Amino acid sequence: MTAGSRATVFARFARSIAALLQHLGAQVLARLAKLGQASVMWWLAIWGLPRRGDFGLLVRQIYSIGVLSLIIIVLSAFSIGSVIALQFYTQLARFGAEDAVGLGLALVLLRELGPVVTGLLFAGRAGSAITAEIGLMKSTEQLSSMEMMGVDPLRRIVAPRLWAGVISMPLLAAIFNVVAIYGGAVVAVQWLGSDPGGFWSGMQDAVEVWEDLGKGTIKSIVFAVFITWIAVFQGYDTEPTAEGIGRATTRTVVLSSVMVLALDFALTLGMYGEFK
Amino acid sequence: MSADAYIEIRDLHFSRGTRKIFDGLSMAIPRGRITGIMGPSGTGKTTLLRIIGGQLKPDSGSVLVDGVDMARVSRDQLFELRKRMGMLFQSSALFTDLTVFENVAFPLREHTPLPEDSIRDLVLMKLNAVGLRGARDLYPSQLSGGMARRVALARAIALDPDLLMYDEPFTGQDPIAMGVLITLIKNLNLALGTTNIVVSHDIHETSSIADQLYVIADGRVIGAGSPAELEVDDSPLIRQFMHGRPDGPVPFHFPASTLERDFLRAASGAGNRDTRS
Repeated sequence: MTAGSRATVFARFARSIAALLQHLGAQVLARLAKLGQASVMWWLAIWGLPRRGDFGLLVRQIYSIGVLSLIIIVLSAFSIGSVIALQFYTQLARFGAEDAVGLGLALVLLRELGPVVTGLLFAGRAGSAITAEIGLMKSTEQLSSMEMMGVDPLRRIVAPRLWAGVISMPLLAAIFNVVAIYGGAVVAVQWLGSDPGGFWSGMQDAVEVWEDLGKGTIKSIVFAVFITWIAVFQGYDTEPTAEGIGRATTRTVVLSSVMVLALDFALTLGMYGEFK
Repeated sequence: MSADAYIEIRDLHFSRGTRKIFDGLSMAIPRGRITGIMGPSGTGKTTLLRIIGGQLKPDSGSVLVDGVDMARVSRDQLFELRKRMGMLFQSSALFTDLTVFENVAFPLREHTPLPEDSIRDLVLMKLNAVGLRGARDLYPSQLSGGMARRVALARAIALDPDLLMYDEPFTGQDPIAMGVLITLIKNLNLALGTTNIVVSHDIHETSSIADQLYVIADGRVIGAGSPAELEVDDSPLIRQFMHGRPDGPVPFHFPASTLERDFLRAASGAGNRDTRS
């Protein structure tokens, strides 16, 4: 290989590295710009002054976001609760510790599974619906025409959905916990014949209001804020075509699911801390 | 520019990405008249309406609406100003979850403290003006395209705006619906004294109602005057546009390499891509 051709190869290599860095930089900048837009949208929507009739809008959104998610939440909660009880029971029975099923079930649900699984289901059921609805409103120029009528879509469309999500999801998580514990009790006590006294009193002794219930509720509130924020922004920012809405809906579900799992780790680390 | 201009646009520059849409556009829209803005598709006529409505910010230049610079007002002021504007969207943009009645009532409910029976009277008056009082309980999905546009018109005039902007009002309308719309626009202008902007590429319909026409192409105004003046204008581009000739300064062909080279390349198996660069 001659010196000249080696120099060309090197130059080409350097150029492709530069192109790669440039591409990376552009991607990062684009993401940051989106994050900025999303933050501004959230801020304006949260502080938009409510007006006459806005309470009705909020109630309607709580219905479509919260109440309509109840069926999937209740069904999943029951089956997850009963599966956990089944697994705990078979493992704990080997050590003669069947009585610990109740407390184990309650702790796992209140601290982790309740908020996390509710978050995932909520993202799939309500988050995707919010994105698709707002995306379609955008692509049919309904948001635009609202703006031109002097009505702020952030106040009229976005704000009620954000608030409804933050109100509904912690309640859904609470319902999830109750139903899942009931499902576990059905399996462990009614079916497998574990002692009801041990099941419930073990739970009562172990569960603390703040440490388990309180911190779990904080998790579900944080998840709710992020899921609804992502869902609303993806809808608002969607490319106004059929594929655009499809992509935005997928992004909502993927992004908020990943967000829930990552935030869960961070929150567990932060709130229950001092593991070492 | 005339003293009674409702909208004054001076040296407007606007680009989308790398594509220049407006390159030093200036025009004046007279108060209380119907002004037609025409031009080939893709010249940014709709973009111009969005800039006037403050939905897009120009890169440079000023847009004065009744003396207020739309690029400089705050978000709150902008929403306040828009209450005095009505815009008829090409897609009608009716709220699909509301009935015809509720669609027209929407701006009234949002912006006025009127009691329910006054709102009802006003909505029925507006619907009567467009001939659709009987359709008040229908949903937008049950309307024909022409009816939807008339409902959107009723909604746009609900607050008696000073400025009405029509984005391609005649596109996709059958001749009867077109006639109805032309009469409505004309009558509303006469009855309310509203300043009207009609953006369109339908020359005959727009010429028949407009007091003044602007023809835009390549990001600037290439012709202005009354419909009669433009009809006899002898600049080639305006002649091509006003008389609907397929070829002229605006070429029939989308830019491409010559036909011969394209065929030769196909024969040599170089594929389908255009390798002009």
